[in-house]
Amino acid sequence: MTPDNLLFLAVIGLYLSGTVLYLLGVLWHAQTLRRVSYIAAIAGFILHSACLGLSLREEAGTTLLRGEFYFSLLAWSLLLIFFFLWWRLRMDFLGLLASPLALILFLSSQAVGGARQLPETLAGLFFGLHIGSLFLSISLLAMACGSGAGYLFLERKIKTKEKLTGFARALPSLSSFDRANQWAVTGGFPLYTIGLVSGFLWAKLTWQRIFSWDPKEVVAIFIWLLFAFLFHQRLFMGWRGRKTAWLAIWVFSLSIVSMLVINFFMPTHHSFAS
Amino acid sequence: MQYTIFLFGLNHKTADVEVREAFALADGGVLERALVTRESPIREALVLSTCNRVEILVSGSPASEAASLVLSRWAGHCNRDAASLAPHIYVHSGTDAVEHVFRVASGLDSMVLGEPQILGQMKDAYRRAVSNGATGVILNRLLHKAFSTAKKVRTATGIGASAVSISYAAVELAKRIFGETAGKKAMLIGAGEMAELAATHLLTSGISHLFVANRTFSRAQELAERFHGTAIPFEDLAEHLPEADIVISSTGAPQAIIRARDIKDVLKKRRQRPMFFIDIAVPRDIDPDVNSLDNVYLYDIDDLREVVEENLAQRKEEAARAGEIVREQVESFSHWLKALDLSPTIVDVLRYGEDIAKRELCKTLRRLGPDVPPETAKALERLALSISHKILHEPIVFLKRRSRENAGERFLDLIRRVFDLDKESVPEDAHGRGANEPACDCEDEISNKASASCVPTSSRN
Repeated sequence: MTPDNLLFLAVIGLYLSGTVLYLLGVLWHAQTLRRVSYIAAIAGFILHSACLGLSLREEAGTTLLRGEFYFSLLAWSLLLIFFFLWWRLRMDFLGLLASPLALILFLSSQAVGGARQLPETLAGLFFGLHIGSLFLSISLLAMACGSGAGYLFLERKIKTKEKLTGFARALPSLSSFDRANQWAVTGGFPLYTIGLVSGFLWAKLTWQRIFSWDPKEVVAIFIWLLFAFLFHQRLFMGWRGRKTAWLAIWVFSLSIVSMLVINFFMPTHHSFAS
Repeated sequence: MQYTIFLFGLNHKTADVEVREAFALADGGVLERALVTRESPIREALVLSTCNRVEILVSGSPASEAASLVLSRWAGHCNRDAASLAPHIYVHSGTDAVEHVFRVASGLDSMVLGEPQILGQMKDAYRRAVSNGATGVILNRLLHKAFSTAKKVRTATGIGASAVSISYAAVELAKRIFGETAGKKAMLIGAGEMAELAATHLLTSGISHLFVANRTFSRAQELAERFHGTAIPFEDLAEHLPEADIVISSTGAPQAIIRARDIKDVLKKRRQRPMFFIDIAVPRDIDPDVNSLDNVYLYDIDDLREVVEENLAQRKEEAARAGEIVREQVESFSHWLKALDLSPTIVDVLRYGEDIAKRELCKTLRRLGPDVPPETAKALERLALSISHKILHEPIVFLKRRSRENAGERFLDLIRRVFDLDKESVPEDAHGRGANEPACDCEDEISNKASASCVPTSSRN
């Protein structure tokens, strides 16, 4: 077994145990289990960073051409955002969403194989911006979606005056969920815009065409419009709570569709497979 | 000389708000001093006046003039006619009065069953009466017994927990909605016992400011002053509503005073920041439609009660158990009161001495063995009994002399306590409390907190 494989397995193991322990900790109301799960997730995250760093250092040229790297990077940025929210808002509940999602993405990063050839201009500034900002933005959206779902669940319980038991009791307050949504929207929308614009500029440089009616580009524009609507309503119309939670869930679901369905099942020059 | 305890009062069941306001005694101490004078048949007096009740507790000779005296003085203090007071009051005497006092202290007579605030108000009223010198041995004993009964009721039944838990549930829900209640602003619309209780809980959980709106502006000012808040005229309610995050409503209005369309405007002004309405009025003050608005949460008292999973049957059962505890305590108090006279006390003192003499005689005879001649045993018995009688002679002469004086029952009580004739100087549960101590302490803490910032109505203004 190579050191690379070992590292990979360690990351998987840590993320998996983090996820399972966290779930058990919530279900059994065991604070210690939850604390252990944080430690596992943090350790996994550190090893994951090392993993990414190593593969970049060793074979920078080919790594950037491989789809699996980007999945792994997305998982990493997802966790980065989660740790940030956890630190600022104490919303460990989002770990329920972040850790399984990161685990799946990290696993699929290994499943998606096959390098493909990309133009030489690839390593340029725009490409880095395009990938980096979009991935951070999607990670923020994932958190907004998770906290939106939490908000809707808890809000429904409170509105219908149900007794809050077990899981509902362990959730953070409505205002924390809403704040997570606000952060994700105010941070995510500019990032998404940067990602989109840099993508178009890069396309202009690479293919001499800004817009090529690629399905992914069309969906991205649509997502951007929806995201812009959410951003506007949230910041300037004072929307908060239920409506913004629903919008965030929609925007995130669309981005997931555009990422997975279009990438795998539709002809696109964004495909990870060659 | 025997003493009788009388209780005169009116409460939320016998008199409506106007009457209660008209006959409230802002400073009970004045009436207490006026009742307990040298030539009055009343020896001790205690006045308790809150927004929901006025209770005047007196002890004195069992003559009937006490009743008319108390009523005329009471009405006179409020500048009213005694005749207009008569239809609204209840009069209890003897054990009925004692039972009533115990029930009031335990919160069994309150509008919100088992609410702890009344106990704090009663303690404050008692403290004032003591400092006025208006109470004596009987009311002191009665009130102490009332406080211990209330504590017993609270720890042995869930009745106190339910009232506390409703406002606790309200605070918990506020935390679910706002994250933390620290820094939030609350508004009281109308001010009943329960609203005060909820406000007290909210304030201890860190509410930064309290608005009080009430139809009677002076009452709003009183409350606002007590909670360091702002009183606002009832007409300006809508203006201040956008500032409030939590609204507790408890007015006596016959129909809803806050409707969904009013709140829509309020929300716009608040930029959709969430609001939490707690409606504890019956009939309800806030239209249930309000709950259907986004970012607005409305709970009425039944919802809160359901949240704490409290059903009516359980409450009745708890109330029945509390009633039993009260009756037991009434019996023990009546026993003490009956014995608080010269001849029973002398009999008890003598019996106390004889019991000791006989116990010691038995021990000595056992030690001497079986072959003690009967005349020696007889002589020993005579010796022991006469020593005990001789020793107790002076205390008994002292009692006979002093009990003819004014307030002679003080010495009767003293002797009874010195010799522990009522066998209750040490509570039965004084040594066996380990198991439920944390619960008790916790309860105390809650009721202390609840009463901490609550000065009784009688000492306001």
